[in-house]
Amino acid sequence: MGVTASHAAKRIAHVGIASMFEFIRKNRLFFIAGIGLLAALLVYTLNLPRVEKANLVERAAGNIMAPVQAEASRAAAFPLRIWNEYLSLVGVARENQLLKDDIRTMNERLALLEETRQENQRLTALLNLKDKAVEKTVSARVIGEDVTPWFKTITINCGFDDGVQDGMPVLAAGGIVGRTIKVSAGSSKVMLLTDNASGISAIIQRSRARGVVKGKGEDLCSLEFAMRGEDVQVGDQVVSSGLGGVFAKGHLIGEVTMVKKGEFGVFQTVTIRPSVNISRLEEVLVVLHKSVE
Amino acid sequence: MNNYIKFTTLIILAVVLQTSILPHYIIAAYKPDLLLVIMVYLALRTPANHTVFSAYLLGLLKDVLGGIYLGLNGFSFVLFCLLLKAVSDRLYVQSSILYVLTVGAATAITTIINLLLLIIFSQGENLITAAATLLLPHLLMNMFIASIVTAMPRYFAPLDSK
Repeated sequence: MGVTASHAAKRIAHVGIASMFEFIRKNRLFFIAGIGLLAALLVYTLNLPRVEKANLVERAAGNIMAPVQAEASRAAAFPLRIWNEYLSLVGVARENQLLKDDIRTMNERLALLEETRQENQRLTALLNLKDKAVEKTVSARVIGEDVTPWFKTITINCGFDDGVQDGMPVLAAGGIVGRTIKVSAGSSKVMLLTDNASGISAIIQRSRARGVVKGKGEDLCSLEFAMRGEDVQVGDQVVSSGLGGVFAKGHLIGEVTMVKKGEFGVFQTVTIRPSVNISRLEEVLVVLHKSVE
Repeated sequence: MNNYIKFTTLIILAVVLQTSILPHYIIAAYKPDLLLVIMVYLALRTPANHTVFSAYLLGLLKDVLGGIYLGLNGFSFVLFCLLLKAVSDRLYVQSSILYVLTVGAATAITTIINLLLLIIFSQGENLITAAATLLLPHLLMNMFIASIVTAMPRYFAPLDSK
């Protein structure tokens, strides 16, 4: 009796397994597609904890593409340079006059600033504070832009061969550009301050109100966590606070273009326009030593 | 072998055009997605055995060149390619209008898949506003590029199935 029952159970199991294999065989395309999708999803999720570091595939692609991109970018800029420097000279005389006026104003301001700088030096010496360390920088050329309109990254022609590492500040003449990510031998990506994953600790220069400048994915940023009671006005300059360990204190981030205080809520909504024209970047500076306070 | 070399050259040209040449002349919102246009072409016009893997590689390449999330576009390209392969037997794939419309659909669907993945696994909430603003111009630009592809004589030539 016991032997018969065991035999029947084995047979049922055998039939079950056989029918399962038959089911898989009939629907093998769906199973292969499902496994493929799962594998693709796994690649994505397993890479999430280290999104800012370049892996072997990304480094290889960067090393292969960087020289081609550099040459293509140089070639593509040539007709534009011809147009800008030779053909598009309408209104240059008027612009020249305006610039001369600007220079005069700037010189006056410069004189005032020099006075302030000297005063600051005297007071710093008086207080026996350390000077900011001189930051070592390397200049880099923009050789590529992000292929998607949603993310805001650029590729520069400097990598760890030039001393660049992940998380180093990137600056331009106007102020902060972003920080390096996914560094390979001869090229690096720069996560721009307008990327939605970017966050920079900042202060309003005039009122010293604090917040975090986050990218909005377009060519604008927002000042998050600025308390409702803080004094923030349109036109205020926003500078890095030095907190966070990437950017030194005092680098210009941008200008406040909109302030909105709702009836309720703890924070106010502040929109910032970056001081650097992100869409027209050609050369940048990578600060090789992180900020020293 | 010859086809593989041609295909690789085409991909490199598309990447160089998209990352290093077009940004000098086109603003970000109107940036076309040439890799997606190629992926849709492959999904519609080539045999199934290599298409899905090629779509995944194209997606990975797009991830390497854009954004910070490796595998994001790889997944969405594979998913869209599988969906398209499931119905392409019943479609008149040589139709140029179908190709242009499919590129439009691919742009919208892969963007939505990417957004969902980012919202589920990362921080994609901020991207919703950007995607809402940029999707339409991006979609129209991709469809425009697709229409240029269909205007090329090679598009209507019978494909080598080997």
